[in-house]
Amino acid sequence: MKWLRDFGRLLGKHGEATEAVVGMNRRNIEFVYQYNRRRDYPLVDDKVTCKTLLQQAGVPVADTLAVCDGLFDVERALEVLSNEQDFVVKPANSSGGNGIVVLGRRVEHAHGVGWERHDGGTYTLEELRTHLANIVFGAFGYHLSDRALIERKLEPHPVLREFWPSGVCDLRVIVCQGEPMLAMLRVPTRRSAGKANLHQGGVGVAVDVSTGHTRRASMRGVAIEHHPETGKPLIGIQLPGWQEVVQVALRSASTVPLGYLGVDVVLDAERGPMVLELNARPGLEIQNVNGISLAEARTRVPA
Amino acid sequence: MKSPLSYTNVVVTALLVAVPLALIGYKVGFLGYRLGDLLPRTEHRVAVKMKLDGDRGRVSARTFLPLSDERQQLTEHEQASDPSFRFVTETEGLNRTARWNGTSVPDAASMSLNYAVLVRAAEYSISDTLAVPDTYPESVARYLRPTEYVQVDDPEVQSQLRELGATSGPLVSRLRSIFDFTSGLRGRAFKGTTDAVTALRLGEASCNGKSRLFVALARGAGIPSRLVGGLILDDGTKRTTHQWVESYVGGHWVPFDPTNDHFAELPTNYLVLYRGDEAMFVHSSDVNFDYSYTISSRLVPAPRVVEGASAFNVWSLFERLGLPFSLLRTVLMLPIGALIVVLFRNVVGMPTFGTFLPALIAAAAGETGLFWGVVSIVIVVAAVVIARQGIQALRLLHSPTLAILLSVVVLTMLGMSLAAEQLGLSELARVSYFPIAVMAIASERFYLALVEQGSTSALKQMMGTLLVVLGCYAVMNSLALQALVGGFPEVLLLVVAANVYLGRWIGMRLLELWRFRSLLGQRVTA
Repeated sequence: MKWLRDFGRLLGKHGEATEAVVGMNRRNIEFVYQYNRRRDYPLVDDKVTCKTLLQQAGVPVADTLAVCDGLFDVERALEVLSNEQDFVVKPANSSGGNGIVVLGRRVEHAHGVGWERHDGGTYTLEELRTHLANIVFGAFGYHLSDRALIERKLEPHPVLREFWPSGVCDLRVIVCQGEPMLAMLRVPTRRSAGKANLHQGGVGVAVDVSTGHTRRASMRGVAIEHHPETGKPLIGIQLPGWQEVVQVALRSASTVPLGYLGVDVVLDAERGPMVLELNARPGLEIQNVNGISLAEARTRVPA
Repeated sequence: MKSPLSYTNVVVTALLVAVPLALIGYKVGFLGYRLGDLLPRTEHRVAVKMKLDGDRGRVSARTFLPLSDERQQLTEHEQASDPSFRFVTETEGLNRTARWNGTSVPDAASMSLNYAVLVRAAEYSISDTLAVPDTYPESVARYLRPTEYVQVDDPEVQSQLRELGATSGPLVSRLRSIFDFTSGLRGRAFKGTTDAVTALRLGEASCNGKSRLFVALARGAGIPSRLVGGLILDDGTKRTTHQWVESYVGGHWVPFDPTNDHFAELPTNYLVLYRGDEAMFVHSSDVNFDYSYTISSRLVPAPRVVEGASAFNVWSLFERLGLPFSLLRTVLMLPIGALIVVLFRNVVGMPTFGTFLPALIAAAAGETGLFWGVVSIVIVVAAVVIARQGIQALRLLHSPTLAILLSVVVLTMLGMSLAAEQLGLSELARVSYFPIAVMAIASERFYLALVEQGSTSALKQMMGTLLVVLGCYAVMNSLALQALVGGFPEVLLLVVAANVYLGRWIGMRLLELWRFRSLLGQRVTA
């Protein structure tokens, strides 16, 4: 019955728009609609367009191996890729990591070319062909057609490898009107199928936006101190080159006319912070991870 | 922090509220719209089934058809009977009879009479000062005289009258004392006829005994009174009919039911079938006659809404265009359904497939009923998910896959209709009324959620969708609301106003309170 009392107490707060946390309705009205014009969304929603803008502004991004635009382009892209390895295939328009395929070492076998997957299986050329065709047919987004972006896999910094050895942890920095508001590190788990997606069971690690220190961590809303599967500590770790991460995030945010953004950054072992993508409607879970509401974080930002 | 309502928003909202309210006021004030007229009414369908053994002889049977008056309205009737019968309806005195005459009627010959009625409640107030008149016109005066079973002149009746003090004083007090006395008699489940004197002697009676005693006493008190026979319209099958009385008060025949304690009033479920001391059924002797009443009810739009000839009336517009009532219902209620979805999504935070899909499903379920509507959605979605898993092995491109799934939807619906017909589930058989697009979109959304967000999330969204469908269905199928929107389509502007308000509402969604409980909890303890 305790939970019922708790919920009743929370219900009491329903009417007042509390400063403790920003809900979806308030995020949309006070942040997304306030700072982002709808017509500018495509600039970041399309990963190819966004990447082009970032490249032009000199923001470090992963190397592009190929962009596959249309069904007739699939064969050309396959030709390029058949000699490549360690690359990532992404639909230009998708969210939540849908349609992203990460391929490792190139292998040749009796039936032709293939690539190793992170789970140890092999991904054949034929599978890649179907996947590219599905992407350009818009199977992963809300559009009738799409482009496939194929880029070089990044090599995570050793400090990040400590968090999760077999995949990529990425950093999310919320930038509001040119100021960094909140930051977190997203660590995959086996349960999240190697994806750094918090809704699929990934771990969220709060990062102090001014120092780059990891402050706290949670998984599905429950506070933790160690990675539930590797047992590695998550808290009290200094992320390397943090000021550079913030600078890259701010620079990338300034390339688009959007005032409220989630910037996804990966720390590459050799090349430092690289921007993965920008998000015009970043989620609310970062508040739970940090224990700080967006409203509160906004007041901390020097105006 | 209050939501930042701009000047424009306030003006727009005010207009959206003021305009419909003004229009409603105009219609009610100047065009004579009455909300009571717009409310849906209960239509009772009565099936009278009769059977007799004719033994190849000449036989007849008669009962009554209800007459339309201010209180009750016969909207349709039909009869069906053994071909050896000839059916006639006639007006006989105050009543309308339904008679079957037959020659060479076989055994177990059946007759049935089906009719639909709309009945209102009636309530009369009788002035305390109203006196009992000395004379009545002849047409009424005959209801003062004694008859075989209403023995007004009987000494016991007369002495009871004196004991009650019902021979003097104002009309209403005489009626009240007679009513109290007769309704105070013990009840008795007695079949057959009880005359007034017998009821008085026994001190107990069924409805017809109490009613005859009431009539005898009232006539003795100088108040013209008569028996009324009819049916209490409660859903189900029964043989019991009912009798009550009417007394002539101030130029009106006012109803009294001493059995069920209705004084100068009649509830909505009383159907008058005849007036006078009649038998409900009369038939040739030795034919082993049997009968039953089966009563069912449903809500229908008020006749005033349907018939109204005003230019504002959407109902009559649709009728002129030859469009069906169900379509109108759907069209008018969709914006309201959408508002319900908005409430669920933005205020509760319920995850659903799409914004309008639940409203569309609820509208479609109007044809099949909620239960079977939900059952069919679940079956179709399951079929599509299974088919899609199978198709996955073929590695087809996206668009052809979708086209195949559409065929799966159609085939599943056909299969369901077929199976339902075999099983005699008529509601489920109507699943083909479901818009295929709605089914296909629901299935595809579920599949995408399943693949992209995992089974937990997909099931949550499915449950959320079904829950919102439930809410939409309850609201959209409310006949009161349908009638209201039918009579006052401008109500939809109020729906727009509500959406404008909700569109700037920045409160926490109910489910977010749970999601962010730790953050909110901090504040409570801090």
